[in-house]
Amino acid sequence: MSTPVLEIIDLKKTYKRGFRAKPVYALKGVSFKIEPGVITGFLGANGAGKTTTIKCLLELSLADSGRILYFGKEGLSNEAKSKIGFLPERPYFYDYLTGREFLRFYGKISNRLKSQELEQRVNDLLKRVGLAHAGDRQLRSYSKGMLQRVGIAQALIHRPEFIILDEPQTGLDPDGRFEVREIIRETASEGTAVFFSSHLLPDAEQLCDDLVIYKQGEMIYNGSTQKLLGQAESGFRITTSENGKLHEHDVKTAAELQQKIDALRAQRLEIREVRPLRLSLEEIFIKMGFDAKSPIAAIDTEGARR
Amino acid sequence: MNYLKSICVIGVNTYREVIRDRILYGIVVFALLLIGLSVVLGGLSFAEQAKISADFGFAGIQIGASILAIFVGSTLVAKEIDKQTILTLLARPITRTQFILGKFVGLILVILTVMAGLAAVLAGLLLFLQLPITGLFAVALYGVILEALVLVSCTLMFGVISRPIMTVIFASSIFLLGHWVSSLEGLMKMKSIASEPTFQIGVKVAKIIPNLERFNWRSAPIYNIDVPFQDLAYATVYAIGWMIVFLALTSFIFRRRDFV
Repeated sequence: MSTPVLEIIDLKKTYKRGFRAKPVYALKGVSFKIEPGVITGFLGANGAGKTTTIKCLLELSLADSGRILYFGKEGLSNEAKSKIGFLPERPYFYDYLTGREFLRFYGKISNRLKSQELEQRVNDLLKRVGLAHAGDRQLRSYSKGMLQRVGIAQALIHRPEFIILDEPQTGLDPDGRFEVREIIRETASEGTAVFFSSHLLPDAEQLCDDLVIYKQGEMIYNGSTQKLLGQAESGFRITTSENGKLHEHDVKTAAELQQKIDALRAQRLEIREVRPLRLSLEEIFIKMGFDAKSPIAAIDTEGARR
Repeated sequence: MNYLKSICVIGVNTYREVIRDRILYGIVVFALLLIGLSVVLGGLSFAEQAKISADFGFAGIQIGASILAIFVGSTLVAKEIDKQTILTLLARPITRTQFILGKFVGLILVILTVMAGLAAVLAGLLLFLQLPITGLFAVALYGVILEALVLVSCTLMFGVISRPIMTVIFASSIFLLGHWVSSLEGLMKMKSIASEPTFQIGVKVAKIIPNLERFNWRSAPIYNIDVPFQDLAYATVYAIGWMIVFLALTSFIFRRRDFV
């Protein structure tokens, strides 16, 4: 079994603003792991504690208690930092640097690549995020989408083994979202673990191998995306065609599905489609968040919890 | 080695960012106008034109460097926090102390560049007015550099605990007090002005404010007054001492900061 790139154990964080203000429990003892090469989606409503967790992970905000292990070792050492890439939410970068200078700066500060290799990496990444034409323009002339893409490039510049992206698709048009999705997929295919927070659940459903779901500072799910979706499965639907008309046949179990297919073939009906009947991640998420009495919420919060 | 390399990388980046900022050109134009004004004011005197021009010229360089240190220094860290660039930087293999030192080095490099340009203009002007350029010209500039080291480190310290506008107010107060502290000390020594307890408090307050007049050798090239090496050495140690105190405090405060 490989060492997790990140392991969080019982992380707690409280905010207190003002002398007499009541403390706000932002993180109430969360624990989860991220395995190498896996895309993990980090979901939760606004204020659930996602950004706080990310900031605690990077020691930008200091946790009250709990343990954080990177690559099996306690704490965020410089060695660990050199293997991590990070893109914050709504990034704004140095207005007067060109895209190329900006990437070169982050590459140098990461101290992992030699000059020549870094130069090649800058060119490759500019091409990969679709900014080869704008590499010599100052960042203040970049659009929001371009800034997001150059931000992703800075997170990847030093060939990290683990990247953390805080809502990387926020504010992007559908094309931009698609591009970010592809970059995340490509990055993971090279063996890099990706941990990204998002409100775009259809994208998370398509992309993520694993999910971490928060509700009000607590983790309510950590596990495989397919397992979660599978738990919300309620059977299968077979669509057949007869004289140009489509008919749907619903069955409950996999065994019934095989029997039904055999029966339909025996009737010489044309089978057009077989698909599982299940809720989308978005529907599951809404039920988990708002409907504690729903059977799915019960499954997810108890049965699916690791 | 890597420790210094990271500081240099941040320093060069800060330099690049500030040197391209429009606010810098406003400050440079202001300083050039002051030097230009020195010619006009010098023209009012028949006998001492060159000396008056030199006096105003050095004042222009000193004010330009101080404005740069205070106004640009006040936003140096605040801008990184507002724009969240600090988050991506501190997620890299650098410490918060390296970040502060890099910012410091970057702004000092900017001030040195601007001073070099302004000094060249002043030197040309003085040659035109037939005032000889001696080593004392460099000594006067060295004093401005030492003062800039103290001011930038002091502004950075205020910059990590307050908003830019408050930082400008605090750092400007230190600048003014730093130049008046010797005069105030002198005044208070006259018992008729201050009572004994006030005098004692005044003496203690004077010790916690850097005396920026120690770096004032601007009249040396004008009146051809030699500056003893001991004075230069003492002022250098004094400036570096204050700079270390301010940077250590800045780093101490910044290391505990939560970026919520």
